[in-house]
Amino acid sequence: MAIFGLSVMVSHHDWAFAVFTVVSLVVIDATYLGGRRWIPAKYLIPGTIFLAIFVLYPVAYTVYNSLTNYGTGNNLSKSQAIELIQRNSIGASSNAVKYKLQVLAKGSPTGELAFLLTDAQGNVLLGTKQGTTPVAAGQIVKQGIRSTIEGYTALNLGQATSRQTEIQAFKVPSPAGEISNDSLTSAFAKTQGITYDAASNTMTDTATKTVYHEQDGSFVSDSGQRLLPGWRAFIGTRNYGRLQLTGTFLRVFLWTLVFAIGSVLLTFALGLFLAIVFSSERMKGKRWYRLAMVIPYALPSFMTALVWRGMFNQTFGVLNRYLGTSIPWLNQPNWARASILLVNLWLGFPYMFLVCTGALQGIPSDLKEAAVVDGATGFTAFRRITFPLLLIAVAPLLIASFAFNFNNFNIVYLLTEGRPAVQGSDAGSTDILISYMYKIAFGGGRGADYGLASALGVIIFLIVAAISAFSFRYTKMFEEVR
Amino acid sequence: MRFRNSLAAAALITSMVAAAAATASATTPGTTPGTTAGTAAAAPPATTPTTEYVPPTRGDADLVIWADDTRKQVLDPLAEAFAKAEGVKVVVQLVPSDKIRDNLSKSGPAGEGPDIIVGAHDWLGELVANGAVAPLDIDLSGYADVAKKAFTYDGKLYGLPYAIENIALIRNTDLVPDAPKTWADVEKAALDLKAAGKVDIPLAIQEGTADPYHNYPLFTMTGASVFAQNADGTYDPTKLGLDTPEALESAKNFAKWSSEGLINKDVNYDIMIEKFASGKAPFAITGPWAVNDAERGFKAKGVKYAVEPIPPLTEGGKAPAVFVGVQGFMISAFSKKADLAKSFLSDYVNTEQVMLDLYKAGGRAPAMTSAFDKVKSDADTAGFGAAGQSGQPMPAIPAMASVWTAWTDAYTAIFSGSDPTKAFQDAATAIRAKIGG
Repeated sequence: MAIFGLSVMVSHHDWAFAVFTVVSLVVIDATYLGGRRWIPAKYLIPGTIFLAIFVLYPVAYTVYNSLTNYGTGNNLSKSQAIELIQRNSIGASSNAVKYKLQVLAKGSPTGELAFLLTDAQGNVLLGTKQGTTPVAAGQIVKQGIRSTIEGYTALNLGQATSRQTEIQAFKVPSPAGEISNDSLTSAFAKTQGITYDAASNTMTDTATKTVYHEQDGSFVSDSGQRLLPGWRAFIGTRNYGRLQLTGTFLRVFLWTLVFAIGSVLLTFALGLFLAIVFSSERMKGKRWYRLAMVIPYALPSFMTALVWRGMFNQTFGVLNRYLGTSIPWLNQPNWARASILLVNLWLGFPYMFLVCTGALQGIPSDLKEAAVVDGATGFTAFRRITFPLLLIAVAPLLIASFAFNFNNFNIVYLLTEGRPAVQGSDAGSTDILISYMYKIAFGGGRGADYGLASALGVIIFLIVAAISAFSFRYTKMFEEVR
Repeated sequence: MRFRNSLAAAALITSMVAAAAATASATTPGTTPGTTAGTAAAAPPATTPTTEYVPPTRGDADLVIWADDTRKQVLDPLAEAFAKAEGVKVVVQLVPSDKIRDNLSKSGPAGEGPDIIVGAHDWLGELVANGAVAPLDIDLSGYADVAKKAFTYDGKLYGLPYAIENIALIRNTDLVPDAPKTWADVEKAALDLKAAGKVDIPLAIQEGTADPYHNYPLFTMTGASVFAQNADGTYDPTKLGLDTPEALESAKNFAKWSSEGLINKDVNYDIMIEKFASGKAPFAITGPWAVNDAERGFKAKGVKYAVEPIPPLTEGGKAPAVFVGVQGFMISAFSKKADLAKSFLSDYVNTEQVMLDLYKAGGRAPAMTSAFDKVKSDADTAGFGAAGQSGQPMPAIPAMASVWTAWTDAYTAIFSGSDPTKAFQDAATAIRAKIGG
């Protein structure tokens, strides 16, 4: 398997992947065939390799992209771009006659090539390497649906395709220039509009003599004319400079924090409250209530978010119609923010409810009884005993929930698409960093701009990593309490 | 190369989620990965670019065509006949319409991907910038002018057009028996019916917050245009037209229509199609897709309607322009059999019969003039065709994404009561800052 993978990678010139495969292969073989000394590594190596592939690689690749101009107009390699620019500039020369072409071969279909050319007026020429000779109407012979002349076989497109390279190299000298094929059924005299000079690394327009120099992954003339396509080029930290971390970014970042923290606290508060209520001994029919409460969690959020969007519609939505109000749920910035939090609460509380129910059952009841014996009231017992013990169990989940909501693209995009809009800014009032990044990546001034979006992605990564690192240190404190 | 590209999009969105989740599960024993990943709200994204579409591979075919479901059905027999007559192996592969554009730019450089794609002309800006499509030399004198213009980018022809689609005014002939001559007539008839309580909404025009595509005829009534047009009808992307005097006048009109309730930001596609199909809206501005929708469409629901050009603002005024989308065949720049592909398009697809077959499958007006003449006895096709007469091709420049966004924002601002002049001036400023227009 590794050998097959390697052959694919080498043929695609993916050297980084090939090296990585070889190294991991050697390490894995050494680990599992290397005897007793390597036993601990047997457990660690697979995880480490998967960590490298699925975590470190995307991060490294994002950082790399953020230093390039990768995006619409710059997604090829330089050699591909040079080839395409030259090839696309080939066209009919200004006064060229366009001919219908029938490819002929002398004698058998593998014989020497010739072109049977018919112009718009119906005049027929036989084109050979020596030049053109007129063909009288009487000389033309039918061969099925095709025409040919005595001594030649007309090639069908399959036969012509198999001799494609020869046909493309076949030129018929004529007074208007060399006639060559444009497709397998048309031909005319061509000119090359733009040529590349490798020595000076410039492109030159053969007609106007304009010279294009390399600049940031494109060929650009002195007057600013840019040749398409460009290629992926390394542009240093310029994408980071374009991010403008103070204005829009700061606004979006603050809302992202409010959204993520708000979602966690609200879902946790409601989930915990319900868990306590339903863990009460006096409650009847608990099972059915619990079942009903898991429903929002069990339904696909893609569907429910869209249903909520419909219900929030100001004129036609269910909510405003039944409430008899005209609340601009998704149309006014603060209402839209409240709506998102509301929907996320609805989607998220069952999870917190389940987690808290589990954690509450794990707390020994004798602790609480002891507290009551010591004279604690119900609330004090909860605050002093149950809640701290509960927090030990669920704090890591709260942090994970925060990290998840920090990047909760779905809810924002399905419910509001980041709207209402803030005019003159890329990000709307409810955009969080991840949806802002998505908008930059696909809706920038030049179409897609992966370079800039990657730069933003790196910043988001740093923020989330910092918050997570800080939080885990903080939760360790809880564990020490125990 | 292909693997790298496919990881690029995934890396963008997931790296942070993955990193955060991984640290979480790695350092907290007792939490199973399952609960961590599903934390709080939702399963991992599925419609975001994290799930990568994998296009079909070429196999040993000489000619590979990427087309969506409807087009594949028409092209399959054609490809088979072509293959038999010419001794080549042709495969029509089913690739969903929204995947064709992205995957052409990805698969092509790796030597995979199609020779021919079927797609919309407004992909051209991106495809040409990415060097993904090749210029084409075909005589299009037998085709509608707007279709030719649409497939011409930077002075070069890049495709063989086959169908034209655009929006038109659709009138409920029971509620409004006589065709209105001016937009003022439409406005009056619609508001009167609403005031009389006979309809739910006066004009079913899809906004769904705000929709510049559907609003374009209302915008161009005053003579405004999104970009200034060159003498040959192509756009000059350096001359943005959103803050010309005509455009600002349109913006004011729009504010008036919004405040008097003719246009409502809350009407989305679902409400538009439901209200008109159930006779609860006298007018709709929409395209053939809403008429022909198999389940909810106007035809399927049996409402009596007529398809007409959108009338001018006042009698003798400028005919409003709608955006025209043109579907066509394009050749991949990475094709190794481009000569064969060009011959297939110019000799086999470029015929009246194929164009009529494509019309039968898709129901969009043929771009080939002689084919259109054969089917214009169909009132709907004729109506949409007439509305498209004064149309402009949808701009194809890659920067259009940022134009749509800022333009939508301007309409949204007007809906929420902002000054229309300022809203459009702000949009123009924002767009110029990005594309330097």
